[in-house]
Amino acid sequence: MAGADDFDLAVRLEIYRHFAATGARPAVEQIAARAGAGPAAVRESYRRLQGRRMLVLEADGASIRMAPPFSGVPTMHVVESARVSYFANCAWDAFGIAAALQRPSTVRSRCARSAEPLVLELGGSAPAESSWRFHCVVPAAHWWDDIVFT
Amino acid sequence: MLFFRSEDLIAAWCRERDVPLRPLVRLDQLWGLAVAWYATRLEPAGRRPQPDEMRGIFAAIGLDDPFWDPVANSF
Repeated sequence: MAGADDFDLAVRLEIYRHFAATGARPAVEQIAARAGAGPAAVRESYRRLQGRRMLVLEADGASIRMAPPFSGVPTMHVVESARVSYFANCAWDAFGIAAALQRPSTVRSRCARSAEPLVLELGGSAPAESSWRFHCVVPAAHWWDDIVFT
Repeated sequence: MLFFRSEDLIAAWCRERDVPLRPLVRLDQLWGLAVAWYATRLEPAGRRPQPDEMRGIFAAIGLDDPFWDPVANSF
């Protein structure tokens, strides 16, 4: 399985490079070209990565819904960094994109109850104390029962 | 996993949806979680934390409620 593991690593890194560079999800064909493989092999790799909770795929098995912390579809959580805009899967992942990119980023989201905008500059340190809070309804043991809902 | 302007607004949101109020997380704690979870995600060695690592991450930033236990069946 070393061959498959090496290939899956190459695929995963290309997916993340694409998200980091563009803010958008890559097409299977783009990853196939960069990994030097065919689209069918990449889709198989996607399935293995989903099994290891590294990806969440759409029903077509080829479109990336989540490569945490990046979202492949628009959400209410946007991160801007180095003139690239990213969608995050959730509030946690909005901070996660800034952490993963390791460069100054602006998080734009809103209060889920009042819709008041949240605009937060994140550098290399924790944000200042404020009344804003993060809340998650689903216990950690059940996050992956339905990760899109979580 | 959402942002709220205040703890009162979280309580109201939970009441309106008849969902339980869960442990509240400050944004500095959330930043700690984000760094622990994702700082190496773009690197070859990047991966999801395993359950034991998750417990350590949560405990290190003061989140020790059973809600955060990755294998708990009561919370």
